Amino acid sequence: MKILVTVKQVAALDEDFEFRSDEKDVDEDFLIYDLNEWDDYSVEEAMKIKEASDGAVEVVVVSVGPDRVDESLRKCLAKGADRAIRVWDDAMDGSDSVAIGRILAAVIKKEAPDMVFAGVQSSDHSHGSTGISTAAYLDWPHAAVVSDLKYSPGSATAIIRRELEGGLSHEVEIACPAVLTIQLGINKPRYASLRGIKQAAAKPIEEVSLADIGLSAEEVGADSALSRVRRMYVPEKGRAAMIEGTPAEQATRLIEIMREFKGE
Amino acid sequence: MAVPVQAGDLVRIVLQHRDPFAAAAVYNVATAGQRQALEEVIVGERRNALMFARWEHTPGGVLQAMAGSGDQAVKMRLDKNPGTPGQALSHLYSSEKQATLIGLIAQHAHTPANVLEAIAAFESDLKILKAVSSNPAASVRAIRLLVTRMPGQFDSAVATNPATPADVLEQIYARGNAFIRAAIVAHASCPLSVLDRACGEHEINVLRQVARDQRVDAEVLATLAGHADVAIRRGVAANPAAPDALIGMLAKDDAVSVRRTVAARNFLTPATVMCLSQDADHWVRQWLGRYPLLPKIMLRQLAQDSEMIVRRAVARNPASSAQLLKKLAADSEAWVRSAVAYQVNATPSLLRWLAEDTEVDVLCGVASHPRTPQHILQRLTQSPDADVRRGVILNRSAKRRVLWPLLQDPYYLHRMLLIGNPALSEKDRWGLRDDPDKAVRFAVFKWFSDRFAQGEKIH
Repeated sequence: MKILVTVKQVAALDEDFEFRSDEKDVDEDFLIYDLNEWDDYSVEEAMKIKEASDGAVEVVVVSVGPDRVDESLRKCLAKGADRAIRVWDDAMDGSDSVAIGRILAAVIKKEAPDMVFAGVQSSDHSHGSTGISTAAYLDWPHAAVVSDLKYSPGSATAIIRRELEGGLSHEVEIACPAVLTIQLGINKPRYASLRGIKQAAAKPIEEVSLADIGLSAEEVGADSALSRVRRMYVPEKGRAAMIEGTPAEQATRLIEIMREFKGE
Repeated sequence: MAVPVQAGDLVRIVLQHRDPFAAAAVYNVATAGQRQALEEVIVGERRNALMFARWEHTPGGVLQAMAGSGDQAVKMRLDKNPGTPGQALSHLYSSEKQATLIGLIAQHAHTPANVLEAIAAFESDLKILKAVSSNPAASVRAIRLLVTRMPGQFDSAVATNPATPADVLEQIYARGNAFIRAAIVAHASCPLSVLDRACGEHEINVLRQVARDQRVDAEVLATLAGHADVAIRRGVAANPAAPDALIGMLAKDDAVSVRRTVAARNFLTPATVMCLSQDADHWVRQWLGRYPLLPKIMLRQLAQDSEMIVRRAVARNPASSAQLLKKLAADSEAWVRSAVAYQVNATPSLLRWLAEDTEVDVLCGVASHPRTPQHILQRLTQSPDADVRRGVILNRSAKRRVLWPLLQDPYYLHRMLLIGNPALSEKDRWGLRDDPDKAVRFAVFKWFSDRFAQGEKIH
């Protein structure tokens, strides 16, 4: 039995930063990379199923990206994932979330897992579409924003709870294999043990090329993307204003503003 | 690898492994020649330079070395970093042309007085000058310069700046609005002459500050205690100089916030205590429950209060007896039992009993209590809850054999906290030198570096 978890190394920003000269992204020197928070929950959910199972369950993590992504994959290995796969080819540069979905679907077809987890979204680009586009390429059932999961390895179905607007929940029975996008709070992700980190450092990360998954350069990258970034910029500031004066003066003005908003 | 016994060994190890975080940690104990090599490791790559310029733990010496950078982004981060030393800021100001960056230097707490004086004397940008007027590091000279150069322009900031001298406060009191006058009365250097004038004011904001001033005489306080404004009466209730009779009267005030303030005072007469113990507001009774001079009979009464926060207050009170604590340790609310677990008077037997609790808040208290037996602490190091394990780490009585397994704790912050624990040996700390977490490695090398800087010998 196999669970495949798709993960992404995301970029976090400091408060001051510079754009690249093409103005399509932030200068890489200002980015701090880490495992996407949603994916941390996906890996934990897979680990919980593995640890609760009587039979053998293999957890495989997959990511699309250059060498630096290995660091995030090792984090997953340190938490107990059995294998890590990194897919990369320079031709993949500029892929949008739909093209990434195509790449991940190709890996999944090859790996043939019983269940696929992805994060609801990534904290940097927030498209919320990679997991769903992966399911579309696979033509598998899918469910988004999963906040609870009841699934026994080998079962033909899983019972899931989805978060809806207005505090509502949606309980759904889904046929397996399926792609589920996992929501924050579904579990409490563990910290990797020191032993786990040391063992992960020695584990190999499988590097997969385009040819290995049967895709061509034309099927990935900026040219195959359905959307492309035109420019990235800081929008003009809104109506924020500094309230000047002594603390009492500031408090008085703040109360006035609140009363104005309340129409008093 | 053996524990280094002198600074030179430590720096050589760092240069061999070329870890930027370890390099930053040992920079202060390196020789001039070694520093150059360390700088290559620390800021050789721009992304590292940007990171260290912003990092709150970057040692002052490293930030000082970075002040010579020509990279505007690095300079901006240095200007913003609260740890940047005065010498570095002085150097940055000497070559700075951008108003935004000068503004950051003008508001930095470490900017030397002479730099702030130069800014106050020669800059013309109002935002920059306002930053100086708000900076507690500004000298009296800098503040006088600003008040003289642009009278009235920065009165709000000057009135609240702790560095402002009494004569300047007096000067701006005469022209300030009610808010500025109130801020001046609240100022630690407010002269008596200004306070006397303020006592005769009718402005509520000013009187609120007058009511809190210990120098105000009893007659004025008595008048203010009858004022219609609740915040003024609350100010009197908080004033340590208010006579007991006045406090007794305020203990019956209509406003709960006034009675709560009375209940939070350091000293209460028996009559006031009695009055407050019957108060309908449970926050009043909660404050009373924490009063360290509360009679035992009153503690027992409040220990049976229907409100959990009142019972918790009694459980926190250092005057509570062992017998009372034993009763509260069996309370149905975990938050009350937790207060007992943190109580300084909790006995080892009571802590042993509380160690069987299942609530994490209670176990955290037991884990951090210096009277908890070592074998219980040892058991709590195995807790799946990180907060409980952290309690053991922070327990100043925990012995080395208890702490030792926690050096392998999965949570990096725990390993980092252990580095400074005096119960551990140098060898234990040195064992974390190749920790996977950069902050832990930094803390290890910084600990050894600080010891060498102080001339201590490592055994």
